[in-house]
Parts: sequence; structure tokens; C-alpha cells
Amino acid sequence: MESWYPKKGRVIFHVDMNSFYASVEMAYNTKLKGKPVAIAGNPEERKGIIVTSSYEARKKGIRTTMPLWEARKLCPELIVLRPNFDKYRMASKAMFTILSDITPFVQPVSIDEGYMDITECENQGSPLEIADRIQTRILEELDLPCSIGIAPNKFLAKMASDMKKPMGITVLRKRNLSTKLWPLPIEEMYGVGKKTAAKLYEMNVYTIEDLVSADSYQLKRVLGINGERLQNRAKGIDPSPVDPEAVHEFKSIGSSETLPQDTTDELEIKKLFRQLARNVERRLKRKQSVGQSVQITIRYDNRKTITRSRKLPNYIENEDDIMGVSFDLFERNWNQQPIRLLGITVQDIEEKQDVAQQLNLFTYEKEAEREKLYQAIEHLTDKYGKNPFIKPKGIEQENQPRTSFQKDFLDDYKQ
Amino acid sequence: MKFIIQREPLMESVQNVIKAISSRTTIPILSGIKIEATNNGIKLTGSDSDISIESFIPIEENGIVYVEQIETGSVVLQAKYFPEIIRKLPDKTVELEVDEKLKVTIRSGSAEFSLNGQDAEEYPMLPQIHNEDSFDLPSDMLKDLIRQTAFAISTLETRPILTGVNVKAIDNNLYFVATDSHRLASRQIPFENQTLGFSSVVIPGKSLNELNKIIGDTQENVNICIMQNQIMFQTKNVYFLSRLLDGNYPETSRLIPEQSKTIVYVSTNDLLRAIDRASLLAKENKNNVVKLVTKPNNQLEVSSNSPEIGRVLEEVTAKHINGEELKISFSSKYMLDALKAIDSDQVKIEFTGAMRPFIIRPTENDQILQLILPVRTY
Repeated sequence: MESWYPKKGRVIFHVDMNSFYASVEMAYNTKLKGKPVAIAGNPEERKGIIVTSSYEARKKGIRTTMPLWEARKLCPELIVLRPNFDKYRMASKAMFTILSDITPFVQPVSIDEGYMDITECENQGSPLEIADRIQTRILEELDLPCSIGIAPNKFLAKMASDMKKPMGITVLRKRNLSTKLWPLPIEEMYGVGKKTAAKLYEMNVYTIEDLVSADSYQLKRVLGINGERLQNRAKGIDPSPVDPEAVHEFKSIGSSETLPQDTTDELEIKKLFRQLARNVERRLKRKQSVGQSVQITIRYDNRKTITRSRKLPNYIENEDDIMGVSFDLFERNWNQQPIRLLGITVQDIEEKQDVAQQLNLFTYEKEAEREKLYQAIEHLTDKYGKNPFIKPKGIEQENQPRTSFQKDFLDDYKQ
Repeated sequence: MKFIIQREPLMESVQNVIKAISSRTTIPILSGIKIEATNNGIKLTGSDSDISIESFIPIEENGIVYVEQIETGSVVLQAKYFPEIIRKLPDKTVELEVDEKLKVTIRSGSAEFSLNGQDAEEYPMLPQIHNEDSFDLPSDMLKDLIRQTAFAISTLETRPILTGVNVKAIDNNLYFVATDSHRLASRQIPFENQTLGFSSVVIPGKSLNELNKIIGDTQENVNICIMQNQIMFQTKNVYFLSRLLDGNYPETSRLIPEQSKTIVYVSTNDLLRAIDRASLLAKENKNNVVKLVTKPNNQLEVSSNSPEIGRVLEEVTAKHINGEELKISFSSKYMLDALKAIDSDQVKIEFTGAMRPFIIRPTENDQILQLILPVRTY
């Protein structure tokens, strides 16, 4: 059995839930099984887009981010549901609990996928047996399908889980790269988006194999440090660890929304900015965080999209501050063309407890009133060594690995 | 139009007026410099409609001839190229000539540039301010007032009024006050002029900073005149016009604590250098925080701690420490800015508690006040 595990090196799983939201809906309502089902934000309005769809719907050509009206044209019998994030979070949490029964080294990447490092799990069976057990448990206990990739590192595991869907278990070994990985078109490589792909085409890199043999100096010049990283990954090298804490490090918090109609009406624009600022404030508060940079996104009617950001001298967290900076950025950068979508993202996020709070001349008296309380806490902290009054921060603070809320942007479809 | 001019005074004037010119202007002609030749001399104008600057080069000054062979007229030249051309011309004199097609020829030594000009008729007229309600300040004092306060303006647009310096006349005193809501800088000077047509205005900090670069460190008077939404500063050869900020400046005097619990007397330079050293590590932590603790025997402990880098600790001997023990944290940047502005060997720092603003003043007078809000570490 031990021969399944390498003497040196690691065994990494990538567990990827298959059409997660649609599958969760089907688990709740088994009548939906075998039917084309899609989850879409705002089924009524024109801005409704497909968030995810079942395999039956995908067979008809339905794709994620497709506008709803287009999807309905392709598949008139499509069953469209509004997302229900509470359900998905619950299912996600149950899924990660199953993973963490195997090993504490679980790194959630998003609500429906995560990595596991099972290098030390020899006593539980071969990697294939463990993968099979995970897949079976998730299917039997949660009625949800998933695909699992098994490889010596995270990148290869991620590529492997993509190779057979739904309900696949794929092993990707280094010695199989030339036949299994390298023939793939470059845009199917994890980490290569549209923009990177376009730059790679310019260098005559069309497949992963082309990337392996590309000139590394030129790659570095065109794509920076990321070029080097991508080439290493293509060669099967990815030293990044499975980090259970990574999910706690969120670097930005944002909110964006499409307008009901493309507009140049400044009042309407301002109203949306105000609403976005309020969303961002709410999420910052939920995470007990503050941020030092603000970035806005403007998408015009011709889909051209720009982002502009500003680093601030101080950390901010309030709607008014976020609004002020965002709208100022907007006024400086708007070219007066009709706008389709606006977004605000607060970056350089720190948890409040790590940041000293700069008091404000106009509001310090409110804080100062609490000085006696703070002094008492400090006194007790000195006495007992640790602040006895750190308050629990709500439901998300539990000892099980959390589902990722980096995909927090999906909250936009809530309301 | 035609004239021959000394390159150096021309260069100086060009550098004055380009401070007002922005490449991003909604009125295209404002991206140019207007040049006017009259029988008295040459006048250059630059403007971005918030700030307008005129700089005048007289025919002669103190017996030195600057301009010769004047044929009157005017033209507007692209500010993008003109300054660099003048800077790099080979000779000490420059000849500038405009033909009827607005083609501008610049000759110096053996170099000759030919540039397309624009019609000066299209350049907007600057508002003319009448000098009836004006007052004078010596140029070096005005520079001090700006230097000691304007650094504290807000750079955020969230409260636009705080991007300006509040100038007000109260009880025979003239005050300059600036705050970004985390620190406040205030300077007052005795001021007898009671016939002023204003009590309080807010001048954009950017305007004052540009003005500060243009006016000389001399005792020559600057004439200041305020009208509705504009303020004008005039020296012998420079006319500087800025718009004023709209709105009411917050009343800050009541926010300044009147009694204190701990008073520290210390050498400005000793404290400044200790804070500067502590800030080397403070730059890495959030908000540049340094900590100050009073110790027995007139010792002040200055420290900063960045868990990933390391820590620094230093004791500074104060002249005197009065009152309660104190532990306080604040931004090293704000402290350094304030100490640099104070212009005095010894400072008096008055604290009212770790979560209340503290005040730094020169020991010997009350004319400068620097106030800083501490940070609360969680």
C-alpha cells in the first residue's frame, strides 16, 4: 500500500463539485434530476445571467455567464431557479467537513472546490481508495456529485479534476504530462485567462506544450513573474503548499452591479455607487476589516471595461468614505459614455485588530468616552495575559475549515 | 509682435506661469501660455481656470535692461514645448517674433525655432480684482504661514472643504488653519487691519503650495485681496489668482482641548530625531505608529514595533515632564510634519489622555499650534 505514496514529494487532491448550485437544488428537489436546470441571478430582468447549470442544460449549449434570454432560446424547457446561497453554504460546509475527516490539510478555494494534502494519510489507504471514499461519502450523504484530481502538486491536481466530469477520479502523474497535459490548448490551463492567452498567442504559444518549450526570458518579459510561474506549472512544477489558512486571507472586498439600462444619468450613477458603497461597508464590517485602497470598475455600453484605483493615507471602512473616494475616481475617469456596469472594490484589506485606529478630530470624543472601559480591559489583559473580552465574531468563526467566501461576489445576486 | 529678451528672466517667468497650466483642461487654449508685449514689458499668463498666474518682465529693473526692440502684440504658445525650448536655447538673449499668420519664430544664437501660435483674442480674460479692500503681508511671512499649515490639508475629496486652508481674521489676529481631521495645524499673526471685507475664507491648499513656490523669501510685501469667490496675491511682477473653496469650514477652535493632564517640555530636535529613527520601522506597520511613554526622571521612551521586521526603542531626555503618567501611540508622519513646522528649539507638548488630541507649541509663544489625534491600538 505504501508503494502508492512517493518517497519524496506529496500527494495532493483537488476536489471539485460538479455544477454545484444546480446539484444542490437537485438534491433538495429530486424531481429536478435529469432535467435541464440553471441558476440565474434575477430571472426577470435583462441583467439575469446564468450562474451555473446542470449537465443536461450544458448539453443544450447553456454556458455560465450566458444571458438568460439567450439560454431560453437555446433550451425553451430550461428550469430557471434563483440562487439560494444559504443552501449552498450549508452543503459546502458539510462537504468540507467530510474532507477534513481525512486530513486537517484542507484548503478551501471557493464554495465548491478545495485542495487536500494526503501525503501523510498512508494508514487510510491508497490515494485512489481515499478519493473513492470521499466521492462516495459526498454522494451518499449529500447527494452531490464531485470530481477529484490526484497529482503531486496543486496545479496538476486542479488540471486532473477537470479531465473527467462528472464523478471522475483522475490521476495525473509527472510521467504522463506529455500525453495528458501538454496537448491541451493553452487557454484550458488553469491560471491562463483571456488576456494572458492573447499575449501567449502573440508568442506562438497555442498549447501547454508550446508553453513548456517557450523561451523563458521572453515569457518573463511579456508576463512578468507570472510567466515564469506558468511555465513551471506546465512543466509539472508547483511548490505552493496546501494552506488551510489561505482562505482567511482576503485581499479585497467588492461589489458590482449592472444597471437596468445603460445610462449617462449622473443621479442614477450616484445612486448605484451609494448602494455599492453600502454593500462594501456591510461586508467589511462582517469581516471586521478595513481597507486602504479603493478601486472602481466602469463597464461601458460597448463592454469596454476600465478599472481605476487609489491608495489612501488611512484605512477606511465607512460607506461615506468609500463613496467619496469612489465617486471622485469616477468623476476623474468617466468619459461620458453610457455605462452598463459599475463596481467598487476595497483593497489592501487588514483585519481591524491588526490595524491601529487613527482617531478623528471630529469624532474622537465618542471614542474617548469609552477610554475608561479600554483602560479596564488593558488592566485585565496585563493581569491575565490575554484580552478576556475579545468577542466572538459571529457564525463564520468556527473551528471547521470554512467554505471560502472569496466567492463573496455571488452575494450580489442575493437581495 | 516682436521683442528681444534676456533668457534668464524669461525662463523664470515661464516657470512661474506653467505652475497654473494643466495638460488636462476642458478649454483647449488654456493648455497654452499667453505672451503679451506692451511698451512697458512682457507679460506671460497661464491658467487652469482654478488658478491663474501672470508674470511680468519689465523693460528694465534696477538699471538692468531685460527687453529691447518691442513691437506690441500678443500670441498664445503651446506650454508643452515652450519652456523646454527656452531652457535649452544657446544664447543669453532670445528674439521672439510673430507674423500675421501667428507663426512664431524664436531665435537665439544660431538656433531658430518656428512654432504655430494661437490667437490671443481667444484666451479668456482673467477676472480683474479691484484693490480697495486689500491688505499687505511680507512675502517671507506669507511663506511661513503656508509652510506651517498647508501640509495638514486633507488629500481626500470626501470633505472637499478640508482640502483648503482656512484663513480668518478674529480680534486683531490673522489665522491660517488646516486639518485633514487627523491632525490640525494653526498659525496666527497679529493683524491690525479691521477694514477687511472678509472674516473667513478657505483657499485651496494646492493654490497656496504653488504660490509658495513662486514668491521669494524676501521682506517685500505681497498685496492680498479677496473678492467673493476669488483671492488675489500680487507682488511687483506676479499676479496670482485662485478660486476659493465653497462652503463653511468646520469650527475647530472648540475641538482643541483647553486643559491638559501631562505636559512635556523637550528639545524639538532631540524628539524629532528619535521619532525619525523609530519611524524607520514604523513605516512597515499600519499607520506608521510609534509609541511614546513617560518614564521617571524626565525620560521619554519612544518605540515602534513591526512584528515581521523587528523593534526599536529609544529614550529621550526631556527638559521637564509634569502631571500624570502617559502611554500614547500616534502616527510618526504626523509628528514629524508637526515638529518640522514648529520653528522653535524647544517645544511644549500638552496631553489630555491616550485617546484625546495632544497639542505641540513652541515654548516661548502661542503663535503656532500643531494638534495630533493619537491612534488607538486594538
